[in-house]
Amino acid sequence: MNIVLVGISHKTAPVEMRERLAFNESHLHDALGELVDQDSLEEGLIVSTCNRVELLASAPSGADRGLGRLMDFLCGFHCLEPGALNGHLYRHADSEAIKHVFRVTSSLDSMVVGESQILGQVKEAYQHAVEAGTIGRVLSQLMNRALHVAKRIRTETGVAQNPVSVSSVAVELARKIFDELSGKTVLLVGAGETGELAARSLIEAGTSKLIVTNRTAGRGEEIARKFGGGSVSFETFYDALPSSDIVLCATGAPDYVIRSAETRKALKSRKRGPLLFIDISVPRNIDPSVADIENTFLLDVDDLESIVNTNLRERKHEAQAAETIIEAEVQHFNKLLRSLDIGPAVVEIKQLLSQMAASEFKRNRKRLGDLSPDQETAIQDVLLPALVNKLSHPLIVHLRNAAREREPNEIIDQLRKMLRID
Amino acid sequence: MELLWIVILAGYAICVAQSVLALTTRRPLMQRTSLVALGVAFGAHTAWLVIKGIRANRCPLVGTEEMSSFLSWSLVVSYLIASRWYRAAALKTFVFPIVLALATIAAISPDMQGGERAVNQPLQDVLLPVHVGLILLAYAAFFITFGAGLMYIIQERELKNKRFGTIFYRLPSLDTCDSIGSRSMAIGFVLLTLGILAGLWFTHARYGVYWQGGPLEIFSIATWVIYLLLIQTRVTAGWGGRTGALASIVSFLIVVCSLVGVRYLGHG
Repeated sequence: MNIVLVGISHKTAPVEMRERLAFNESHLHDALGELVDQDSLEEGLIVSTCNRVELLASAPSGADRGLGRLMDFLCGFHCLEPGALNGHLYRHADSEAIKHVFRVTSSLDSMVVGESQILGQVKEAYQHAVEAGTIGRVLSQLMNRALHVAKRIRTETGVAQNPVSVSSVAVELARKIFDELSGKTVLLVGAGETGELAARSLIEAGTSKLIVTNRTAGRGEEIARKFGGGSVSFETFYDALPSSDIVLCATGAPDYVIRSAETRKALKSRKRGPLLFIDISVPRNIDPSVADIENTFLLDVDDLESIVNTNLRERKHEAQAAETIIEAEVQHFNKLLRSLDIGPAVVEIKQLLSQMAASEFKRNRKRLGDLSPDQETAIQDVLLPALVNKLSHPLIVHLRNAAREREPNEIIDQLRKMLRID
Repeated sequence: MELLWIVILAGYAICVAQSVLALTTRRPLMQRTSLVALGVAFGAHTAWLVIKGIRANRCPLVGTEEMSSFLSWSLVVSYLIASRWYRAAALKTFVFPIVLALATIAAISPDMQGGERAVNQPLQDVLLPVHVGLILLAYAAFFITFGAGLMYIIQERELKNKRFGTIFYRLPSLDTCDSIGSRSMAIGFVLLTLGILAGLWFTHARYGVYWQGGPLEIFSIATWVIYLLLIQTRVTAGWGGRTGALASIVSFLIVVCSLVGVRYLGHG
């Protein structure tokens, strides 16, 4: 049994082509049914996301035939000329295909290494294939192993550990000051789209209260309503500083909106813990000398982006450790796959032994003397099958163990020789 | 007993090595090894104190060996309590070098077999070890306050200077440092108060007066006043954060320096 895979991803094809090849969820069941023809492909699964389209299948009659069938299907389904995908499509078989599936599921092949979305998408694709009835013992083993590998890599390496978006970095830094964000008040200065997005991630991270201030009061009130917060007028927002914990500034103003002297004055009587200013506007809207005030901290876009870049580098570094895990897992899975392949051999061994038992019974029937019909049936239905089971058990165990290291066919040939059967 | 010391020192040394190494990487390092080492060393340390107590037939709180040993044991206990309440693995880096140093002092100090023991004075028999034990536990708690203050100052500097390196990621949040600081200070203060009261009672039971005016007594009261002021400013003047952290570091250093002065330069 071979495992085959063809696909395109953000690394090999532009977005227009990926869109062209995408499988709509409503067509997925039909597509899966069409893909699996039981001849060249026995099982099949389709992963279709905005960054990749991949077809995975088990091919009972050889990798080349399987790959050919996958290509034909992909072109045929999307009404493309054969050859239209040249240079964009990758094709993998067996170990390479297994490795690719493990890498994709573990998010090592993602645009942002370590992102968690792909795991959910693979799970979903698997679920669709299960529902469409195109998953058998090989792909179910492969996919379960892939999910296990992804989990292992997330816990044993740091590929998914450090945030890699500006707003999640802002949340992480806020947690380095406040630990728990619940009970904290966010003052949003500037109710534009950027500010709203950043405020949303802080609220999702658990902050309790949002106060919005905006030059155009209407828009500020609108955002405040949206998040269940309050609003203050732009002229008096300094008054809200003493009761705030995080000040998020994102206005389109050409110069400083939050100035040092006013801030110092406003914070004079403040008896709260630290105050974090996050300036995500370009050009900057918070006077950098605000950071000199005791118990205040200031982060601007450059700080946040430099952390994003460090974290991306860190993830890439951790990905090397993940690749080592993948290599080991691929080897492990190959062994498992070989032991899966002994199914037909087991049937064959049992048949052979049953035939031998039946013919020996027939040959020696006379020597057994008088037997009632009940006794004869008992021998044929109970004694002989029990004997066959007893004798075949150690052979099957040996076969299963040996198959982890060698090709099953070799071992079956050996067994045939031992049992003197052609 | 020597074998126990080898186990204890080796275990704590592993903890020190791990906690220092852990500050250099962003990912947890050798956590399990260190946890096992800590468990074994702490178990052995507890066993040492128990055996010592049984053999001498009194609380093992007499002389440099036993007091250092008990103090380092108390530090481990304080650390264990703090790490149960807070996610602050970095505290280990500040606590365990001192634990190891105190344990080493105890291990190389001469064995104190007899020691002070009032015959037929059951009250004094109880009060003296209670007094010494409570005071040592209070110091252990104040050391945690000191460590939390250091972590606060370092973390605050990293944030202000925007140095987001491994130290920044390993140290806990400012709020956590602050909270460890105030909580350990409150606990230490209660222990110190009870310890001083036990001491006064003991003095009265033995000498018939509550106050003899010795340097150690004056020192204890001064320490008590310093921490009372620290707590008071924290509560009323909002001296949390950086000022509070700095104040607790300075106070602890003053207390330790004067304790060393009183014990070794005064009459001990």
